[in-house]
Amino acid sequence: MTDPRVTGAVRYSQDVAMEGMLHARLLRSPVAHARVVGVDASAVPEGIIVLLPEDVQDLGGYGPQVKDQEILPQERVRYAGDVVAAVAAEIADEAEEAVGLINVDYEELPAVFDEVEAASEGAILVHETTNISRNDAAYFGIRPQQETNICHLFRLRHGDVEAGFGEADAVVEETYHTAGATHVPMEPHAAVARWEWDRLEVVSGTQTPFNMRTDLAGLFSIDEERVRIISPPMGGSFGAKTFVRTEAIAACLARKAKRPVKIVLERDEMWMTLNRHPATVRVKLGARSDGTLVASETECWANTGAYADCGPGVAQKMGFAAPGPYRIANVRVDSRAVYTNLPPNGAFRGYGQMQSTWARERTMDLLADKLGMDPLELRMKNLLKDGDKYCTGETMHDVHFERLLQDAADAVAWTESRKNKGLCVMLKGMQTPSRAAIAVEIEDGGTYTVRCATTEMGQGAKMAMRMMAAELLDVGVEKVSCPDPDTDVVPYDTRTTSSRSTHMMGRALKVAVADLKENGERGYGEVVDEGGLDPDTGQGVASSHWHQGAAAAEVEVDEETGRFGVMKLHAPIYAGRVINRPAAELQNEGSMIMGLGTALFESNEFAEGQITNANLSDYNVPAMDDMPATLSHELVEREGGEVQGLGETALPPVPPAIGNALYSRGIHVTELPISAESVLDAVDTRDGRGDAWAKAGCEPVSTDGRNDSPGERVFASGTAPEPTPTPVNGSDGLSDQGRLSSVRFLFASPSALLLLGTLGIGLLAIALYRLLHRRGAAEKKALLRS
Amino acid sequence: MKVRLNVNGQPVEVEARADEMLLDVLRGELDLTSVRYTCGIGVCGACTALVDGEPISTCILLAPLAEGKEITTVEGLGGNHSVQRAFVEAEAFQCGYCTPGMILTAKSLLEENPEPTEERIRAYMGGNLCRCGCYPKIEDAVNLAASMSKAATPIKGGT
Repeated sequence: MTDPRVTGAVRYSQDVAMEGMLHARLLRSPVAHARVVGVDASAVPEGIIVLLPEDVQDLGGYGPQVKDQEILPQERVRYAGDVVAAVAAEIADEAEEAVGLINVDYEELPAVFDEVEAASEGAILVHETTNISRNDAAYFGIRPQQETNICHLFRLRHGDVEAGFGEADAVVEETYHTAGATHVPMEPHAAVARWEWDRLEVVSGTQTPFNMRTDLAGLFSIDEERVRIISPPMGGSFGAKTFVRTEAIAACLARKAKRPVKIVLERDEMWMTLNRHPATVRVKLGARSDGTLVASETECWANTGAYADCGPGVAQKMGFAAPGPYRIANVRVDSRAVYTNLPPNGAFRGYGQMQSTWARERTMDLLADKLGMDPLELRMKNLLKDGDKYCTGETMHDVHFERLLQDAADAVAWTESRKNKGLCVMLKGMQTPSRAAIAVEIEDGGTYTVRCATTEMGQGAKMAMRMMAAELLDVGVEKVSCPDPDTDVVPYDTRTTSSRSTHMMGRALKVAVADLKENGERGYGEVVDEGGLDPDTGQGVASSHWHQGAAAAEVEVDEETGRFGVMKLHAPIYAGRVINRPAAELQNEGSMIMGLGTALFESNEFAEGQITNANLSDYNVPAMDDMPATLSHELVEREGGEVQGLGETALPPVPPAIGNALYSRGIHVTELPISAESVLDAVDTRDGRGDAWAKAGCEPVSTDGRNDSPGERVFASGTAPEPTPTPVNGSDGLSDQGRLSSVRFLFASPSALLLLGTLGIGLLAIALYRLLHRRGAAEKKALLRS
Repeated sequence: MKVRLNVNGQPVEVEARADEMLLDVLRGELDLTSVRYTCGIGVCGACTALVDGEPISTCILLAPLAEGKEITTVEGLGGNHSVQRAFVEAEAFQCGYCTPGMILTAKSLLEENPEPTEERIRAYMGGNLCRCGCYPKIEDAVNLAASMSKAATPIKGGT
């Protein structure tokens, strides 16, 4: 039997049908913040099921970490896309038409979209109160700041940061911004819900069947055992299909219709459902002249949108890994999840690491520049080693950062030349504390069934479970099956997130197989990793094992247009022990390619809170012809090594490696994605033109009179721009820049502008004369003909 | 309205609205679920079917315009087509959602150009998106399928 993926035989949740099933469509708010004055559905024909706010007012709120979501908002909509009403009909088109017949009166309210503004004093409040959820996803001590938009503030305190900066010979500071992005799983969100007497059954491709069960049971005030969640394979997820998405609405429609109801989202609705946090991150680093890091300060603002979802968790992980894999005596981190009137932002492959890694690793290169050090050497000097303590106070084991970074550097022949090349090294935590449970059953005929809540989204989890079980049971992999998770049947597990399943379930499986061998028919295994951080000090055990990765990039830049290309990308990660090599390779390559999209073009664009590029033409994801000429990676294993999570590790280091490759030419960009315009602006800044292009006549002034680090420049207006380029990092071959500069200089000087203006007017006059002349001639011809 | 098609070698007559897309007819009426909805605007390739041998985005092809056409989906390839075998051997998929469209596009590429260059493969396959990012292995699969077809083609005498 061939693989069902090549015959198209895989049945995703969007392919699930139930007898008598209705199809749903949702009515969404077009405004970002408004009071709902009234919802009028009187024009909807009879026989069509309409779910209005009044139908669900007896039901409470939900949300995995903060209970801030309502099935349909009772009073206010908080983002453009918030669902106001829902409709179910025999066919989807009928439901679509009915949605158009519902009239909603809004009274618009002021809205806030920027995370820093929303976290400032006096900002309008998206929610008045913050109720922490009792779902087990809220496991880490959430610290809402009452009467602000900050739904979680994570703090890490280690040493004395002021004293640390005091003893530093070089200090650099920069603020970065990363755009919101969308997961774009090829399969949209799809769910079917039905009530069987007093039991709710939901079929939905979800990474979190048990968290969904808890939230739905809470909503309907029923025992968790009366909710059944089945999770078929997903056509991709990347964090999108976590927690309750459309399932609560489907369940309410099904309750009202007394028939099963299916919801499949349209593509544009995906942008209104869950995205990746836009974030602002400020980093300040201090080092001694020999490169020893002595102080690190990070502030993160993670824009979690109108509902927290797992934003508090994202902010926490963004924060505790922000200092990076370095020994630093003095560290301070403040990381906030901030409500705004954007669509909700939640889990996205990398879970906050991309944003803080981008900021820190770019700053490391600024620091290397200021110190006059090789960026590789600066990193190597400070990297954590086995037995070192991280800033959380935990001791690091099985540490491979030096090896990974060296491998990355070697892949781009770093020692030969550093021009056009950039490096990055990072660490990422796994959900801690963490618990996993699994059961193995022996069937007739010597086959085995592995039952666990680990869901399949393309990462190859099922095959990994089967392969691990087959090895432990000493049978062929074909003898082991691993059915889709069904909460009625599988043991409780938190969720398939955080690159934890093969690592955690693999260990639980060992216990289960041992139990089976002892007991005969059924074996049960459970493992628990203790730990966790104090959210006010960031001290404790952040991660029971650390995902470790590095990347190197090589770019080509056209400095006249700002257009650049990534020629080479290499990402080594620590894998411990690889179970299924092709699947592990696919995960690593996929992470890198997603990182490439983040670096080059993925950005959610909004106008007054409305998404403006919610389609795959205006929002680009990498295609095959976007691949770098060379894309390679390495899965570093160790004899006797433990299985490590590897589904996300290679994403966060890719954008900083690309950003640092640009910086090897002195091109300092702070925003993701990196546009050609931002590269061109950075070229101008490097060459001392600043925004001279727009406002002719600026001169760069060094902050300290001698430093020429591009990140440090300020501009004074009123003087002529510097016409000569500044060499950066001793790089050579910038031959075309002198010409470019002089051309621009010509444009920028007032006399040249006057000259050009005269020339332009002259040309325009000639063109006009010719046009009129030709017209006159044509008219003359026509006249002659008549 | 009635629309007559030839789907995977079988003549069929389906009922379709004048404004209905071929994708919905293939999925809804004929239960060919390998043809999949993703973008809805013809840019991602998940809904690809071969229409008279050409890879076409069925999400933007009005069903009545396919009247009388030969339509092939991966269900029609059986499971043992060289491109399918190559995808399995190269492990060129993760979630598998885009895979049928990828296979049909690769099949069309190889029919047009049995030994495509890397550049040609990347450009031709560039209209099919894979969010899992399986591109390096999909490229391997296309090359593998090319060499399989080459090996299977009887060598003609005289060269």
